[in-house]
Amino acid sequence: MLSFVQPDPQEDKRMSKETFFNNDWLELQRRYWESWSEMGRRAMGTDGEDRLTAPWEGALDHWWKALLPAAPDLSKAFMEKMMEQGKTFFRMAETFASPTGEGSAATGLSFWTKTLEEMQKGLVGGPGESEKTLQRMMSFWELPLDNWQRMMSSLAPMPGDFLRNMPHEHFKDKLDRALSAPGLGYTREQQSQYQDLIRCTMEYQTALQEYTSFYSRLGAKSVERMGAYIQGAIENEKPVESARELYDNWVACCEAAYAAEVATPEYAQIHGQLINAQMALKKRMTIMVDENLGAMNMPTRSELRTLQDRLQETRRENKQLHHRLQALEKRVAALTDAAPASHKTALKTPAAAAKAPVRRKTAAKRTSDD
Amino acid sequence: MIPIDIRPDRLAQEMLDYTRKLGQGMENLLNAEAIDTGVSPKQAVYSEDKLVLYRYDTAPEVTPAPVPLLIVYALVNRPYMTDIQENRSTIKGLLATGQDVYLIDWGYPDQADRSLTLDDYINGYIDRCVDHLRETLEVDKVNLLGICQGGAFSLMYTSMHPEKIANLVTMVTPVDFKTPDNLLSAWVQNIDIDLAVDTMGNVPGELLNWTFLSLKPFSLTGQKYVNMVDLLDDPNKVKNFLRMEKWIFDSPDQAGETFRQFIKDFYQNNGFINGGVMLGDSEVDLKRITCPVLNIFAMQDHLVPPGSSKALKYLVGSQDYTELAFPGGHIGIYVSGKAQKEVTPAIGKWLNERVEQKSP
Repeated sequence: MLSFVQPDPQEDKRMSKETFFNNDWLELQRRYWESWSEMGRRAMGTDGEDRLTAPWEGALDHWWKALLPAAPDLSKAFMEKMMEQGKTFFRMAETFASPTGEGSAATGLSFWTKTLEEMQKGLVGGPGESEKTLQRMMSFWELPLDNWQRMMSSLAPMPGDFLRNMPHEHFKDKLDRALSAPGLGYTREQQSQYQDLIRCTMEYQTALQEYTSFYSRLGAKSVERMGAYIQGAIENEKPVESARELYDNWVACCEAAYAAEVATPEYAQIHGQLINAQMALKKRMTIMVDENLGAMNMPTRSELRTLQDRLQETRRENKQLHHRLQALEKRVAALTDAAPASHKTALKTPAAAAKAPVRRKTAAKRTSDD
Repeated sequence: MIPIDIRPDRLAQEMLDYTRKLGQGMENLLNAEAIDTGVSPKQAVYSEDKLVLYRYDTAPEVTPAPVPLLIVYALVNRPYMTDIQENRSTIKGLLATGQDVYLIDWGYPDQADRSLTLDDYINGYIDRCVDHLRETLEVDKVNLLGICQGGAFSLMYTSMHPEKIANLVTMVTPVDFKTPDNLLSAWVQNIDIDLAVDTMGNVPGELLNWTFLSLKPFSLTGQKYVNMVDLLDDPNKVKNFLRMEKWIFDSPDQAGETFRQFIKDFYQNNGFINGGVMLGDSEVDLKRITCPVLNIFAMQDHLVPPGSSKALKYLVGSQDYTELAFPGGHIGIYVSGKAQKEVTPAIGKWLNERVEQKSP
């Protein structure tokens, strides 16, 4: 059993008071990663069940957790972003790294073919317990969805992933029937509004699921491209020897697969449906919030917009009138200037007359003499 | 041969390097101080609502060109991209060629600005800035430089007020909005813009950010940060990265009515090509642009494909039309070292030649 050299949080705190990064710290890091290197050799040399599922990702994670208390608060969020991506590319290396000592071409070829097949299976049918490493790696494809959810969260009162995994296929028919029942009596309008809200929610959820499944299919296509890339590495006898190189190529494969697919009319439709469904849901919620605000005798969004429109219209007219007034004033001034000399003398003070024109007038006039 | 042959010792070394850079990066991050936006000294010379018109200071030894140059930036993102750092500044480059540079900063529209229309922006704000310059500097015409969406605004403005514009420069400006390689356009075709604007009022900057990042999600929201680790041990590079990161996510909301009209008229109906764009009671007609035009586009632009910009050649009425193709991307055209050497000097030279031609 290996014993790891772990950073001492107290020591890190002391360091952070002076300078975060110094020679002691470097040495500590070096010893830490040497230990992991040794463990990695052993882990990769073992077979099947005994093999550690994620030693390197775990190592990086462990390193960061040990370091976190000493990290200055201001830089934590930024560094976490770096860590998140760092883990992604070391995760790639873990997934594809081959067992030590099995260096024949046949073994190499069969190893990556098997790995890619497992990745594709994981994407199509959902990974089982044994494919957790692959699942973690393919979570890279969650990035565009994660971006959507973050953006959604910033616009909506509910979390961006609020509806993502809500199953509704099983009771969709029942819900449809319930929603088609007409409202009755005093609360008829309210019932109708809630029915609309649920309909919008279901439509948004359907659009989101379609969007998500589009990305799953894209994941499988990026794996195909990765296969072609690895095949090329074999043919050219240029193996990938660093995690970074592997990661960069994986990004290139994903980006190429993505670029090809999102340029299709099919994607444009899925994308449009997602935005439209989200807007319809948000609009329905806004209407209901407005109803409640109105009931409490509070100003509503709708009233504010009416005021904004009227105010802007008034300001527009005001500015136009101001502009016309200025033009009229200039014309009057020009007429005054054109009046007989005796009048001019009376109207123009010596100081005003002495005010020299700006240098540009001559040059600019020449410019405009087309 | 093993196609992927990453040995544990190599992996350990990579991890050591990665974590070492992260560690040093923390130190550099703490020392990075506040991120400045815009480096060249400037003075506010006119303001209206949230708009501010700035004049950039010219060096004492430089005699400014007789015709001022007004820069119209896009409503999307912030105009300090043109002056983002000391050695990467379009503004500085233009000043060095003797231009008297003015720039419109649109500010951050809020819900009170929701009803602003394209007409308000073009025949209102831009026109009043142009008039302000014409009056205070006592010139008949100004030079106009439009950037991206600001280029489309400049085209509309020049077609509406040709008598006020001496020379027009457009940079990475979309003209044909339906070229086959325009992903943004393809995506927006199925969006119900009326529903979106009616729902949100103003269109949030976050939504636009998401759209732009979705063009290359893995590179722009993932790989970029891995690449960043390689820069972390250089304090200047850290600061430059953070400056760019701030600009990317510094996205003002879009005034709802303007957004509605811009997307429908241009992205959905391709208005410069097909016509039908109304500002107030007048229709935009690019044939009315007869002043000299310099159209600059970026060959690797993923937001405004070159073909989209190049369509301008056949639409304007000008006899003096010049194109400049830049070998870079939509942002690189302002911030790359190559752009500093090639783009801004070319703009300055082109403008100076035309102003001199008109002089005796």
